[in-house]
Amino acid sequence: MGEVLFETKGVGKTYGSNTVLHDIDMKIHSGEVIGLIGENGAGKSTLMKLISGVETPSMGEMFYMGKPYVATSIINANKQGIGMVFQEQSLVANLTVAQNIYLGREKKYSKAGLVNWAEMNKDAKKALERVDIKLEPGKKVRDIDMATREMVEIAKVLDVVTEAAEGHAIILLDEPTTVLSDDEIQEMYVQIRKMKAAGNGIVFISHHLDEILAITDTIYVFKDGEETAVFPTAEANIDVLYEKMVGRATTGEFYVEAQQSVPSDKVVLEVDDLSLFGVFNHISFKLHEGEVLGLAGLDGSGAEDVCNCLVGQVAPTEGRILIEGKEVRFGNSYQARKAGILSVPKDRRDEGMVSILSIEDNITISSWEHMKSKGLLSGKKIRQTALKWIKEAGIKCTGPKERISQLSGGNAQKVIFARVLESGCKVLILNHPTRGVDVGAKQEIYRLVREMTAAGHAIIVIGDTLDECLGLSSNVIVFRDGLISGSFDCPVDFKPSQQEVVHFMM
Amino acid sequence: MNNKRRDLIKKMTVSQQFVTQAEDNAKMDKVRRYAPLILLVIMTAIGGISQKNFFSWANIVNIMFQMSIPLVISVGLSFVLLLGSIDLSIEGNMGFAGSLVAFLVVNNSNSNNFGIFGVLIAILIGLAVGTVVGFLHTKGRIASFIVSYAVGCIMTGAAVLIYRGTPIQVKDPMFIAISQGRLFGIPYITLISFAVFIIGAIIMNYTAFGRAVFAIGDNEAAAASTGINITRTKIKVYALCGCTAAIAGVLQCMRLKLGQSNLGLNQMFPVVTAIVLGGGSVSGGKGGSLQTFVGVLIYTELANWLTLMGVDTNLKKVIQGIIIIIAVTLTVEHNRKTVVK
Amino acid sequence: MKQKKFSLSNLSQYMVVISIVLVFLVFTILNPTFISAYSLQNLLVEVSPLILLAGGLSFIIFTGGIDLGSGAMVSATCVISGLYVSRFGNWIIPIMVVIGVLLGMLNGVIVTKLKIPSFIVTLCTQNLWAFIALYFCPNGSVAVGMEYRKEITWMTSKIAGIPIIFLFAVVVVILLYIFQQYTPSGRAIFAVGANIRSTRLAGVDTDKAQIMAFVVSGACSSLAGALYAYKQKSAVPTIGDALTLSAIASIALGGTSMAGGRGSVLRTTIGVITITAITSGLNMMGVDPLWKDIIIGVILIVAVYLNSDTKGRDIIVK
Repeated sequence: MGEVLFETKGVGKTYGSNTVLHDIDMKIHSGEVIGLIGENGAGKSTLMKLISGVETPSMGEMFYMGKPYVATSIINANKQGIGMVFQEQSLVANLTVAQNIYLGREKKYSKAGLVNWAEMNKDAKKALERVDIKLEPGKKVRDIDMATREMVEIAKVLDVVTEAAEGHAIILLDEPTTVLSDDEIQEMYVQIRKMKAAGNGIVFISHHLDEILAITDTIYVFKDGEETAVFPTAEANIDVLYEKMVGRATTGEFYVEAQQSVPSDKVVLEVDDLSLFGVFNHISFKLHEGEVLGLAGLDGSGAEDVCNCLVGQVAPTEGRILIEGKEVRFGNSYQARKAGILSVPKDRRDEGMVSILSIEDNITISSWEHMKSKGLLSGKKIRQTALKWIKEAGIKCTGPKERISQLSGGNAQKVIFARVLESGCKVLILNHPTRGVDVGAKQEIYRLVREMTAAGHAIIVIGDTLDECLGLSSNVIVFRDGLISGSFDCPVDFKPSQQEVVHFMM
Repeated sequence: MNNKRRDLIKKMTVSQQFVTQAEDNAKMDKVRRYAPLILLVIMTAIGGISQKNFFSWANIVNIMFQMSIPLVISVGLSFVLLLGSIDLSIEGNMGFAGSLVAFLVVNNSNSNNFGIFGVLIAILIGLAVGTVVGFLHTKGRIASFIVSYAVGCIMTGAAVLIYRGTPIQVKDPMFIAISQGRLFGIPYITLISFAVFIIGAIIMNYTAFGRAVFAIGDNEAAAASTGINITRTKIKVYALCGCTAAIAGVLQCMRLKLGQSNLGLNQMFPVVTAIVLGGGSVSGGKGGSLQTFVGVLIYTELANWLTLMGVDTNLKKVIQGIIIIIAVTLTVEHNRKTVVK
Repeated sequence: MKQKKFSLSNLSQYMVVISIVLVFLVFTILNPTFISAYSLQNLLVEVSPLILLAGGLSFIIFTGGIDLGSGAMVSATCVISGLYVSRFGNWIIPIMVVIGVLLGMLNGVIVTKLKIPSFIVTLCTQNLWAFIALYFCPNGSVAVGMEYRKEITWMTSKIAGIPIIFLFAVVVVILLYIFQQYTPSGRAIFAVGANIRSTRLAGVDTDKAQIMAFVVSGACSSLAGALYAYKQKSAVPTIGDALTLSAIASIALGGTSMAGGRGSVLRTTIGVITITAITSGLNMMGVDPLWKDIIIGVILIVAVYLNSDTKGRDIIVK
């Protein structure tokens, strides 16, 4: 390993009052591959965004080649020699490979405003050869397969950064192996080793620990926005990594476990051999009255997609969904609600809140048909319902007519909880119910969940953290690569440890 | 999907399934891409069999002449549709440019004689109007259909104001010469149109700007991340569209030797139909000059058929509408997370 | 708490009230006969069909959509009512409502089920309406036969000085207001315009809400067509040509956001009265009517600009 190329000192990021990344110290050496691991929301992606120029840190400093480093945008970072291969591919499908590699940098090839594609293709060919792929650079991206696209993306970033910083560039790879087969992954390793040999510094994120152990030199473990451990890969083993990743469990009191109800025998929802091609396969489980069923799994494991199917957002390709023994099918969330399933969506701003409407409209939107008197909507009923929930859920606001967009994250989330409870649906799906919510509001939401089960609702929860998932649930199913990899009973006082569960996740 | 393949897919892991799916989509995409070309070949073949003079030079020239004005309009409009936006001001813009140019060159209602400068002024004003549309759309964050619709209405009104009731007759010798001149039997107006189209094709295919438009239409966020100035590119697109609409207006005025707001009437819709027929998408990112050309050709042949069958103008428009809806239904990407309002 | 500042977005809230007061004030000062009983009665007759058209169209705009063919729909329905009032008498009014519902439903179903943006769909279907209008009236307007005039004059007669046609429009506006305010579908229409994704996930039938908006608009456009037939006492195939612009401009002037989710039919009604007052006021002052489209177009752009959320989050506007 060579000199230090890049360094972060006490870097952190806050959104409003919510700290998502805190006090990160990281050193990237020349010729080093750093592995970054952690659960969803541990802060890996946030750190990558800060380094790659997508966002700016709220605290701390970064240094590149010994000088203070500030990146105002992705391009700005690229020009300094830092580039990132994003998880969602950022290639433009209707342009050629060469045009993609040089998108935004055509000037070099233009004469009198006209671009010389032949010359660009020649250079693109060289850029592609650098990562050992033989590809006609005049081909449109939409005509090449996913694995090759990934390599093109790497070639593009490599070309940008080496142009700016030959031999001391920083390359960030955010889950580059997701769409690759085993052979293709080996090929990717070869490329990473080549970049490394050239003196560049590389950060590699993956959910697969075997990949991390195979290719990296140093491993950083993140947990809840903090750096919990750093070791040389040679000294790491899987068990230690698991342990460091999950951190210390919170007390049962935090999750109001004393009120955790024992599920009855009555099956409310049954999922039978459900598959969605390319996303998840052969998922079966039963949900009982009064049960909180946790679905654990990393991003892309299929857990969230199962929920999307259950609320009618996507139609499964195979399998059945049964509610109280009767098979149901739905093409949209309206039909799902009519069948008795409603969700608290993951993305509160874009999927939960109907931002420019009032609190009362947001609370009653899923139950307007019950708010009638004499055939017409009753403003009085709507207001009373809203007032009832404002009191019961402790929503801090100026009144039911206030716009929901004026509320803090926690209060807005309580409005959405009020909505699903008012809807009269039996099965409630809570998708990241406490995302971006402060600690106080979190506890109130947990209390609400307990009340919901006590009232006989059946709940599926995808926790913001594994800790939360285990704390809230009476049963947990673990997803990995689109399949159920394990399941755990989580009775009060006998919850499985996070280490046990995380084994099945990675 | 046959059963064997289905079983095979069932046994795959999800990531293998995902890759298979993506590759299947790419294949379907290819089919869709060649469909317009196949359609054109079939239509031409039927035309050749059913009409005996179909491949005669006279008929080819005739088809080229009919393509002229739509081709000019299509230059700007295909850029706009590539963005996934629309420009409804084209007809107003055309009418205004045509009326204005008639007013500026030698005519029957005043003593103006600006000649070629009149043409330039009309085109520059078209460009300016397009710029205003683009500016209001991007900086004002107003949906393009509403801005361009309002501007279109304003331009139509302004066109009528120029001649106040009686359309102006053009007496300019240059206009008369161009409208009557032919080279190898091809009218000058057609040659000019094809030249404009070729320039448009060069801009689309050989400039960074052209590529930026493709990139924005396909993936605006990704385009922004590579440093493309989205706002400026979009304004340029609308400026170009205003410019070509004005050129079309001027050519229309030359053809009819008349300046009136009606010059633009019903000119835009056929071009939208043509572009969509050629495989362009109204949600952006798909299409290109070749596709547009194929589309305009298909449309012209189709229009000829309908005329031969004695379908009247209004019914023709209804048929165009149905074609657009069918073509858009076939090309719209349902899995895209765009909001359809 | 943030201090409330006087900003452009606040201005847009009061825009319609300010402008109607201003318009009446200015025109009365320039020409005192502007508020004479006679010209006011004329104004009320003039605004009535447009109130229906714009009132119905508002609902499509509440969903964030548009109907570029609503004027053409007025032409088609004006022609049908003008030609068939002789056969059906005043039953033509309910018949037109039914026809309007069907025409609107066609738009709505294409928009929601085929997932095509409404401006494209209505750009296409407007040709169909224009075709219907010209198919029935290929040679221009056809007057209602003298023997049937008796049956339809009631619409333009007056009760206590107020034209019945205006009272008719008022009744429809009240019905629209009830629909907007006091029915689940009415509320759902706003929710769809505010955020269709959240609304869908809240288990609201967004397709139905969107189709309802088109249906209501269709019924209102159709009624407007019938009113024009009663008012002009003839079937006029070109009556709707300039109406789409006036209707959209009235809605925008009323402070309804073109992006959807905000607005009210009452605001639209005031917007219609303001716009009509402007055009008839300019007319009385001898301004060339050729300026009309230009003025309304400019009003539309300014009003939309004031209503639009220029700061907004990073939503891609197409």
